[in-house]
Amino acid sequence: MLDGAPGTPRRREVSDLYATVLEVVKHYHGAARITRVSYGAGMPVDRLRHFIGRLLSLGLLKSEELDGRAVYDITARGQEFLDTYWKMRGYIEVFEQAPDPEDRRVRRR
Amino acid sequence: MPRDGKVRLGALDGDLRVERDSEIDVEGRLAVSGQARFDGNAEVRGDMECGSFRSNDGTVRVHGHLFVHEDLETRDGAVEVDGELKARRVDADRGLLVGGPASAERFDVGGRLEGAQSLTAKKVSVGGRFRLAGKLTAESVEAGGSVDLREVELDTIEVGGVIRLAGGIVRRSVEVGGKFTSDAPFEFGGLEVGGIANFHDSAKGGRIEAGGMMNADRDLTFEDLEVGGFGAIGGNGKGHNVEVGGKFSVRGSLELTGKLEVGGQISVGEALTGSVLDVGGKIDARRAVFTGDAEIGGAVATREGLKASRVSLRRKSRATGPLVGGVVHLETKATAEDIYGEMVELGDKSEARRVFARRAVVGEGARVDELVYTEAVEMREGARVRSPPQKVANLPPFPL
Repeated sequence: MLDGAPGTPRRREVSDLYATVLEVVKHYHGAARITRVSYGAGMPVDRLRHFIGRLLSLGLLKSEELDGRAVYDITARGQEFLDTYWKMRGYIEVFEQAPDPEDRRVRRR
Repeated sequence: MPRDGKVRLGALDGDLRVERDSEIDVEGRLAVSGQARFDGNAEVRGDMECGSFRSNDGTVRVHGHLFVHEDLETRDGAVEVDGELKARRVDADRGLLVGGPASAERFDVGGRLEGAQSLTAKKVSVGGRFRLAGKLTAESVEAGGSVDLREVELDTIEVGGVIRLAGGIVRRSVEVGGKFTSDAPFEFGGLEVGGIANFHDSAKGGRIEAGGMMNADRDLTFEDLEVGGFGAIGGNGKGHNVEVGGKFSVRGSLELTGKLEVGGQISVGEALTGSVLDVGGKIDARRAVFTGDAEIGGAVATREGLKASRVSLRRKSRATGPLVGGVVHLETKATAEDIYGEMVELGDKSEARRVFARRAVVGEGARVDELVYTEAVEMREGARVRSPPQKVANLPPFPL
């Protein structure tokens, strides 16, 4: 599972769950089986199937058969989502921190 | 062994097959020359050694050491070892918990890998969470989720989610999708973070790329630093090039051997040095000294001054604090305070408070309060100097 921001734990949003699934799938370099993703994401398989279905329909994941079983891989769009997601999480963490004295001076001006 | 069975075992020549919910009390050491196979949950009370280890669908708990000559494999299962674990290769679907030191050529864990002591491997791959309380020594580490480590000695580490480590060395690269945190001195080849990089103690490395935010509480040494969003160094910064797209602040000094490129805003509490400066946004420092050119498109503010071989203020840019150069050039409508230079060129409608120069050109409609020169001054149409230009034998010493 991906951690929230430091300090008070941040409630996990649905986008955090999609990012978690994508990161675990990406970790397996095109050979992610659903059970492995389930263990990695800490999510039961039936719930994970729903998330994977959504990610496939959005073009963030792709699947193929390997030895008669479905395996998943992240797409370029999925990677783009992850890049944007983590960058945005970085910005959000900045906004959630107390403003520095310089920022307060700027606001007063 | 049948299911729900309980036996005492010592050495065993051949394979061992254990059905679910079984318990083995070990006499001395359970030594299996062939494969030990577990179906479902099982408990082994004592040390165990086997040729290979396989478990399916359950958790096998070994209350002692576990030495596997070949591979340890679990399918839909987990293994918990109270003592030391040694195997050639470990492939666990659900999880692996080790109380003592763990070593194998390779650890592949789908879910969670946790160790209370050291772990040594060539490669570690974890789908979910990886936590280790002892030292981690490996060539490469990959994790899809989060990683919480103490001291590390690695070549590469790639984590999708979050890395927190006490410190140590990653000789080649650290790649983190989400967030990187080091709590003790840390050395690295390169660091690429999609979200946030936090160094709570001193850090030294090659290229640093942070898409979102980078924060170093103490000193930071690097080759190149690229911050897309926000960055801060609580101590001193030292490196080659810096490129800041967003906002960047350094509490101490920033010492560069190359270029500083600021699209956003940079603030340096003490001295800023480098070879080339290119500011599109705003720069603020106690003093800034560059051996090459300094181009300011936005604003520069120093208490002691900005010095470069050539200082150029682009159209409408602003400088607060002295500007010192071989050549100082202000483009149209740029404004500055005191300027010291061998050659000072004030563009049309630009403004300066005092100019000290060997030679000076005051552009059309430009305004200067005071102009002191040693060789020549050229006043263009509409140029105004509040008190008449003063020719002297020697200029006052230039700052910086």
